[in-house]
Amino acid sequence: MSEELIGVARPRVDGPDKVTGATRYAADGYIHGLLHARPVLSTEAHARIRGVDKDAALATPGVVAVLLASDLPLATTGTDRTAEPLAREEVVFAGQPVALVIADTEAAAEDGAELVLVDYEPLEAVIDVEAAMEVGAALARAVEEEDEDGGDLESIHAGVDHGQADDPQEELSGNVLDRITRESGDVAGAFADSDVVAEGTFRTPWVYQAYIEPQVCTTWLEPSGTLVVSTSTQGSFVTRNELARAFGLPLERIRVIAEPLGGAFGGKFALVEPLAAGATLALGRPVRLVLTRSEDFQATNPASAQVTHLKVGALKDGTFTGIEGRMIVDRGSNAGWGVEGITSSLVAGPYRWVAHDIRGYGVQTNRFTFGAYRAPGAPTAAFALESLLDELAQKLELDPIELRLRNAVVEGDIGISGNPYPTIGAVEVLERIREHPLWARRDSLPENEGVGMAAGHWPGGNEPAAAVCRVDTDGTMTVVTSAVDMSGVNSGFAVVAAAAFGLSPDKVRVVTADTSSGPYSGASGGSKVTYTVGKAVLRAAESAREKVLAAASQELEIAPDDLEVVDGVVQAVGAPDRSITVEELAKKILRFGGRYEPIEGHGGSAQTMGAPSVAAHLSHVKVDRETGEVELLRHVIAQDVGRALNPALVEGQMRGGAAQGMGWALFEQLDHDEDGRLLTGSFLDYAIPTAERVPEIETLIVEVPAPDGPFGAKGIGEAPVVGAPAAIANAVAAAAGTRLYELPMTPPRVWKALRS
Amino acid sequence: MIPAPTRYARASDLDHAFELLAEPDAKAIAGGQSLIPVMKLRIARPSLVVDISRLELRGIEERDGELHIGPLTTWDDLADLAHPGLEAIAECAHGIGDLQVRNLGTIGGSVVHADPASDMPAVLLALGARLEVRSPAGSREVPVAELLLGPFTTTLEPQELVIDIVVPLPGPGSGSAYASVEHPASGFALAGAAALVTSDHETVALTGVSATPFALAAGDPRAAVAAAEIFGDRFASEEYRRSLAVVVAERALARARERRAS
Repeated sequence: MSEELIGVARPRVDGPDKVTGATRYAADGYIHGLLHARPVLSTEAHARIRGVDKDAALATPGVVAVLLASDLPLATTGTDRTAEPLAREEVVFAGQPVALVIADTEAAAEDGAELVLVDYEPLEAVIDVEAAMEVGAALARAVEEEDEDGGDLESIHAGVDHGQADDPQEELSGNVLDRITRESGDVAGAFADSDVVAEGTFRTPWVYQAYIEPQVCTTWLEPSGTLVVSTSTQGSFVTRNELARAFGLPLERIRVIAEPLGGAFGGKFALVEPLAAGATLALGRPVRLVLTRSEDFQATNPASAQVTHLKVGALKDGTFTGIEGRMIVDRGSNAGWGVEGITSSLVAGPYRWVAHDIRGYGVQTNRFTFGAYRAPGAPTAAFALESLLDELAQKLELDPIELRLRNAVVEGDIGISGNPYPTIGAVEVLERIREHPLWARRDSLPENEGVGMAAGHWPGGNEPAAAVCRVDTDGTMTVVTSAVDMSGVNSGFAVVAAAAFGLSPDKVRVVTADTSSGPYSGASGGSKVTYTVGKAVLRAAESAREKVLAAASQELEIAPDDLEVVDGVVQAVGAPDRSITVEELAKKILRFGGRYEPIEGHGGSAQTMGAPSVAAHLSHVKVDRETGEVELLRHVIAQDVGRALNPALVEGQMRGGAAQGMGWALFEQLDHDEDGRLLTGSFLDYAIPTAERVPEIETLIVEVPAPDGPFGAKGIGEAPVVGAPAAIANAVAAAAGTRLYELPMTPPRVWKALRS
Repeated sequence: MIPAPTRYARASDLDHAFELLAEPDAKAIAGGQSLIPVMKLRIARPSLVVDISRLELRGIEERDGELHIGPLTTWDDLADLAHPGLEAIAECAHGIGDLQVRNLGTIGGSVVHADPASDMPAVLLALGARLEVRSPAGSREVPVAELLLGPFTTTLEPQELVIDIVVPLPGPGSGSAYASVEHPASGFALAGAAALVTSDHETVALTGVSATPFALAAGDPRAAVAAAEIFGDRFASEEYRRSLAVVVAERALARARERRAS
């Protein structure tokens, strides 16, 4: 074990290829006979399809086929995006794919696509999520949803339970697909006993993941009949399973290759693969589908809009009493799952409450299909909670950080799920930002400036995983997993394997295998990959190390227990001159007549203990009272990361999460008109936090080791976004003297709030 | 985001350009920063794209008390312009798009594109600029104030090309400025104002708040804006835009006065 390799900042393993343009993404490979697909997207938010006229499109030079749902060899009748990649008879959002035009070139397919005439019979579009809940409201989907297994996409994202039984008393419309009730203790009594109470209704919009690489997939059939899917996805096995469900194929007839990922943030789960695969299966030809940016805006699966009514109470000494919430999640057309389960669990924050009563509602409308976006349901929950906690602090005349510290959970505290918290660094990160000089300066700032703080946490997830570590005759190691290299996980695997085996990290190469050859791994998401797959890599490297020790023991005639592996050399403990290199051993082994087992280990993991991560933020802003513009001056984030395997990567995740939180806070909003047509479907209308707007982000790594993580590491990708919007909202409230209850805090909204 | 089929021809000189532009659905392209995006959305579908970018119409020259700006002069060229009294030109050019856009985008192409939220027309209006346009039928001069008819609509004829943009030099002791509040996504002005302050008058022109950029009536900007027709949209209401128009007008004026004083 070479633990000193852990915690050293190193360049990411995928960095050189990416910055030199050598990386080949799913849209890049040359394939003989490739056809190009272009989608025809619904112009109606809700309509019945009367008919589709393909003739003009088919007459376009270069066009090979115009495919409708009935042309795809679908094996199911469900209405989720996998089972119904093209709308059958009812379109349920503007932007839903209705047809695919397949042609020799992308341009010919586009020419054909604009000639496909779809005859729509418009139905009432359900756009207002609150109105949609009322008894008697028009339904967003007229055709009854069949109770079919919509895959298992929720469990990918977070380890939260699904609450208690529904409240049968409340009468709601059929658009309400899911109700969550989380109740414990006497909330009314808790509020009655409270010295201060704060409440509010918080609104957040649909938000787009805005990955750099739009959704893309290339598919072909091997001569044997195997469907090969080369794609930009977060999960190869989940994509394989979804395609098997859609087309009724045996698993072994599908091979999914997860190509290098050009960004995903939760949005890349089997959305375009059924389209390309359906076309390939229908035509027997290789097909590539690359969404344009505007199609990606319209046709994919952004984060839900949410309305959160929240009320919290506290005693004079700051002790939190009751929390009561009613959280309405707009799922759009997603009947399979929504974030009402996660958001209603996380809205309590990493704090202790005497009593709680929190309801979550998943409601269908005719907007998009809801999908995951970095810490789904968490930034919206933290925005509501952390805004109100600042109001409590104000009423109690307590330092907002002190108030939170008095209630922050520690290991063993019972969360609102009823389960005890595992190791959690809430206190540590709050203390860390309290020490920051910016916090001390917050009351002596120039006019119109303000500093705000907030915390946010993510529970992390678990899924069994396996990995292989293999040493070659040149003494280098190859780590094989099927985990998609998202947010730098491969770079983490390299250092884990190097440290566990006793090799320099630059001698370790990480390979992402496809579903036909790789060890099992779940999708990259839920902040679980480093924690779970990393643990499997650790065990695989340890197993390989046992092999090398066994061989060296024979060669050196020293017992394995008296040997160590240091920087690629197996040597006697205390007598390093008695040694043999790993490379020499590998050369002796990997040959005809070799006498020892290959230096190769397999490892698996199946953690059951969660590893939540908490991040606390300080935001320093300046408000322009004349225009309502908010300028971000500085941002500080302290996060409990368990153990930073590679601090450079960890800081990158912290900065990226904070920056996306700035998008939630100030810029990002997908907006529809009254008929459900997208108004902000391009980067000309949809603002994201660009380099000129993102201030310096100071990162403070806090290490509270996760007992079951590799070298104490835990998943850290999602926690940093959670509290950022709330911290900025609290900073704006401090600077402006008035609080905003709706995100994003655009200049017109701030201007209006300053006037009211 | 894939343009409709089109043909391309590069004009070797002005006469060649006129010849090519005789085709009814032909469209001239210079830097392509306005035309290409609308072609990619298939909003514009010219049958022929006439590339005029190699014509010798780029450069800035002072002659007879006037500044002559070639229509193919890029934003980046203009961002370095240091001319007393004409500070607004560089200030405005510097704030347009990003470096890639400024390297390719031309002042002539932008002005005749007539985007109602485009920045530079307000500056040209405030500075009292005029265009020299030419067609096979001959040349004429068009004051910028008479160029813009409405959103994306000008008084130019299909075959007319701008060959010169003429800005009168304000007398000594003048100052100008451009101030705007940008849409957070597009960077186009939610409200933009250019101001020119000379020894004997103050002029303010607004953009982004109406169907076309326009010169504000003389006097207190607040009163002049109150009397103007201002539009609202989903992002910025009429009330908010009107308020911004006053803010940017006052900011541009204040900065122009400061420059005049120094």
